This record gives sequence, C-alpha cells and structure tokens, in this order.
Amino acid sequence: MAQAAPEETRGRSDARLLDWQASVADALVSGGVTVAAYVPDTRLQGILARLQEHGLLLRSLTREEECVGYAAGQRMAGGRPVVLMQSSGLGNAINALASLVVPYRLGIPLVISMRGTLGEANPSQVPMGRATLPILTTLGIQSARLRTAADAEQCTRGVMSLAFEAGECAALILEPTLGGGRESI
Amino acid sequence: MKASEVARAVVETLPEALCVSSLGTATSALRLASADGPHFYYGAAMGSALAGALGVAEALPDRAVVALLGDGELLMGASTLWSVSAIRPGNLTVVVLSDGAYSITGGQPLSSSPRFVEVGNALGGIAGHRVDNVSDLIHALSEVGRPVLIEAELDEHEWPGPSPFVDPAKVRIEFTAHVSTSAAP
Repeated sequence: MAQAAPEETRGRSDARLLDWQASVADALVSGGVTVAAYVPDTRLQGILARLQEHGLLLRSLTREEECVGYAAGQRMAGGRPVVLMQSSGLGNAINALASLVVPYRLGIPLVISMRGTLGEANPSQVPMGRATLPILTTLGIQSARLRTAADAEQCTRGVMSLAFEAGECAALILEPTLGGGRESI
Repeated sequence: MKASEVARAVVETLPEALCVSSLGTATSALRLASADGPHFYYGAAMGSALAGALGVAEALPDRAVVALLGDGELLMGASTLWSVSAIRPGNLTVVVLSDGAYSITGGQPLSSSPRFVEVGNALGGIAGHRVDNVSDLIHALSEVGRPVLIEAELDEHEWPGPSPFVDPAKVRIEFTAHVSTSAAP
C-alpha cells in the first residue's frame, strides 16, 4: 500500500491508516506489548486504531505523567506496557520519568509524536519541541528518530529491545516527515 | 490514628496484598509495618503513586493491590481518580493518610480539605469511606468487588521511623521477584 500524503489525513480522526503507523503498531504487538497507555494525538491515532484492531488493551489516561506511572506499575508487575504521547506532553511526564522510571530501571518504550519542529504553525508548541530531545538525552533515555516508513519496523523493534531486554527506557520519536500530523509540510 | 497504625492494619488485614506506597510518610509506615516486605515503595515521583498502583492492579487482576498514599500526594495526582472510576479495578484499595499536611517537607498545610471520599463517590464506581479509628478501617478494608477509597484521618503526627529514601534497584528486584513467585490467594 502506498503511503498516504500527509494532506489527506491532517486533523481527521477517521484518517486512513498510513503504512508507518501500521508498521509501528504491528511491531509493538509482535514484540509482546501487553497494554498501551496514552494521551491522544493526531499522529498517534492510526497507531492506536491498529493496536485496537489487534485487540490490545488501550488505556486513555488523564495526563502523560499518569501514563508513565501506570506503565511503571505494569512493568513492576511483569507487564510489557508502551506509553504514547505528544512531545508537548513530555513536559508533564518528566518527574515520573526522572524519579521513577529511570532510577528504578524500568524498561518502558515511549512513542513520542513530535510537535514544535518542522512545519509547526503554533508558536506555543515550538519551545517544547526544541526541548524534547535534550530532555530525553539529559535523563539518559535513548531516542530513535523515525523519519520514513521504511524504518518503522526496525526502529520500533530496536526501541522495544532496549526497553524489554536491556531494561532501559527508550523513545521512538515520530518525526513530522512521516505525515499524519498537523504540521504544514 | 497514627500513620503506622494505618499501615499495620493494612498489612495485617490484607497480608497477601501487593502494596504501593507514596514517598514520605506512607513509604516509611509501610516499611515499618511490613518489616521491609516486598512492596512497591516510591522514593519520589510525587503525584504518580496511584497511577502506579492502578498499573499493578490491572496487570495482576487476581491479586489484591493497596495504594497507601499521603493526602498531598493524592491531591497532586488526583486526576487518576477519574481513571480509577473509568477502569474500576475491583482488586484496588486506596488508603489515604489524611493529616492535611505535607509531612515530608516539614508539615506545611494543604491549601484546603481534599474531600477525596466525596470526589470518589461523585465519580461513581468507587466506594468511599472516611474512618477515624482502626476498627472502622479494618471493616472498610474488607470490602471487595469494586475500587475502595478510604480516607484514614490521622489525629497524631508522627514519623514512623524507617527512611523513605529507598534503594530503587532493591525495591524493583524484590517486588518483581515476589510477584513472579507468589501465587494469588
């Protein structure tokens, strides 16, 4: 299936599934993820819809910090959670990452949809967009920046391996060039 | 009641329960009451302990899970009550050490009475109880089948004793080992 142009999906919750979204979701499921905790985002919608098709337990929680705390509990109890959020929500989650997930060495994969960078039209999103990767790096959380559909499966599997096998929280960064978001590109 | 009496009632009434304690008084009291049992002690990450307990409860639906929280802690992460109301895990009991103060930082008062019981009852699906003695606390702890929220009113300030500055690696290793080797009752 050819990848849909970003313009075809912008702002629509019923947008058709993009190839990279299917690849990310399929890799999460085949990698043994047991539950997805998330705060909604346009670019994440296709991934979540695909996860739902697979029958994965989805938990829409009230804020990103709560998603991280919930995932920490799941991980402590033997589950294999994934947390999905927009980059602006990383600001809401920093304390739970810095003083729970990282010191307890809880291997949790994060899927972070970037805002505030390439093609951003909302000035209020830009500062957190600039800060997202430096924050993750400062916390010691490795990031894989996904820019093309061709790399989706490999990058997703790599992040899951870091999380579930090496026991390190790791982030898959969904860049605007993938499409499916709100940016003007 | 004192915090240590509340924690002891939890451990003695629900000896098989997996407990999640928030930083400060709750972690110190649970360490004392359980003789450093294999529980999920938070050493920081204020505001996300209920989310952690919710994650444990959903991952292990056949196990009783108790969140032992400070009132300032729950106030900071109160939106998770909405998630508890939505998910309604019947194996989750929330016990709030209600003294109206941030004990870990020196006893500064909360800005107002949180009224968690009223909030829980208003949200639906949560059985709220306010107790001011151990006998009523034990009775409330015996309720099963839906999430229970118990506001345990403390009338005597104390520092239970053990340090709340836990070793994260030790907590993770002992809790995960306990979960994987102990069966549900």
